Amino acid sequence: MNRIPLAQSFIGRDVVSMRDFTRDEILFILDEAERFEGESKPILSGKILANLFFEASTRTRLSFHAAMSRLGGTTLGFADAAISSVSKGESLSDTIRVVENYCDIIVIRHRLEGAARLAADATSLPVINGGDGSNQHPTQTLLDLYTIRSIHGRIEGLRVAFLGDLKYSRTVHSLIETLARFGCDIVLVSPPSLRLPSDMLDDMAQLGIRCREEFDPSVLPQDVDILYTTRIQKERFPDPLEYERVKSAYRIERSALEIYEKPVTIMHPLPRVNEISIDLDDYPGAAYFKQVKNGVTVRKALLSILLGACP
Amino acid sequence: MSVTNESVDTREPTIRVAALERGTVIDHLRKGTGLRVLRVLGLSHDGTIAIGLNLESKKLGAKDLIKIENRELSREEVNKIALLSPEATLSIIRDYRVVAKFEPELSDLLENLVRCPNPSCVSNQENIRSRFSVRQRRPLRIRCAYCERVANEEQIELL
Repeated sequence: MNRIPLAQSFIGRDVVSMRDFTRDEILFILDEAERFEGESKPILSGKILANLFFEASTRTRLSFHAAMSRLGGTTLGFADAAISSVSKGESLSDTIRVVENYCDIIVIRHRLEGAARLAADATSLPVINGGDGSNQHPTQTLLDLYTIRSIHGRIEGLRVAFLGDLKYSRTVHSLIETLARFGCDIVLVSPPSLRLPSDMLDDMAQLGIRCREEFDPSVLPQDVDILYTTRIQKERFPDPLEYERVKSAYRIERSALEIYEKPVTIMHPLPRVNEISIDLDDYPGAAYFKQVKNGVTVRKALLSILLGACP
Repeated sequence: MSVTNESVDTREPTIRVAALERGTVIDHLRKGTGLRVLRVLGLSHDGTIAIGLNLESKKLGAKDLIKIENRELSREEVNKIALLSPEATLSIIRDYRVVAKFEPELSDLLENLVRCPNPSCVSNQENIRSRFSVRQRRPLRIRCAYCERVANEEQIELL
């Protein structure tokens, strides 16, 4: 893999969906991220990031803000659609065409699926998808991959179980498809009402990806390297009764991990509610706070790559 | 109204619909799609339009057929028909003779032809042209360029 041409091909690119990237390109971003561990040289001095969060976010928004600040750049934007011009009826494309005059790069989170693609179409500046409805969350996927590789030394061929809300979780959707491209075995554990969408299951079957579904949350899959849990997202449930029925079913207790001979890696995009018991925080395989730390590292790398400022 | 002949020579005596001097014949439409095709084409011209429903067909068993007077369909319109009835055949008629005959072809990219079935897709909320890539032709599976959901034939609604 030749670093310089790859680095140049990334300048000005959008990061909207993991589908837009080849395996080599993904590995390139992860390799670059390693160079940004603890990095705080002001290589983005004079650059401005617009954080356009039309939907609530803590981690992603602050993580981008921290990444930009660490490298000497500045951030502007909003954290709520109610204070943007969209609340006055402005189209998303117009908002982007206005904001592009204030910044060098844009991060967008929006409740509508495809909003980041529309934003990317509306401007020549690089646009990063910070989450669009239940579709994609590519920077979460990249930091998850980075975390997995830093713990296991590889991504290829690992066995990963996903637990909880597989229907609405964009984090899961982004990550599953990417792991499948790396030849990982996938186990899906969810209530029947929160299964992975059928079009994704069809796609995986067509690609010949090894994937099995289980519906009993009381039995953790034993034959896996990673347990990736997700929050049951109350806000995405059309039926509150259905939410009440499943919200506590997918909780990992420390005692349940005794079935594993060596520590299993436990990941979660956070925030957690009931999914992971607090007494797991010092479990050797607990990786969810490492994910948060790695998020800043990966985003530092990504901002630098897209702005052509890689050292 | 009924049409019993598979031929596109519009002067055949067995055709009970008036012969076309100039226009388009859309034949071999899947049974039950004729009225939908007409609605999708949204034709607004002065010529006569004749439609045959549930006609006998050696190829399909039963078919629908449309004859459009004084109007030659464009490639974009033909693509719309390909989504509804990929087996359809189109004949362009001039001076009672077939001067061109072709089957609609689905292009790899469908622009502004289909509404995304996902209500949370940005293409249903903002004033933009929908965009789909064709992942599989038969059975049809298309992916929305915005929300990335895959839709099948039953879920597709034409614009």
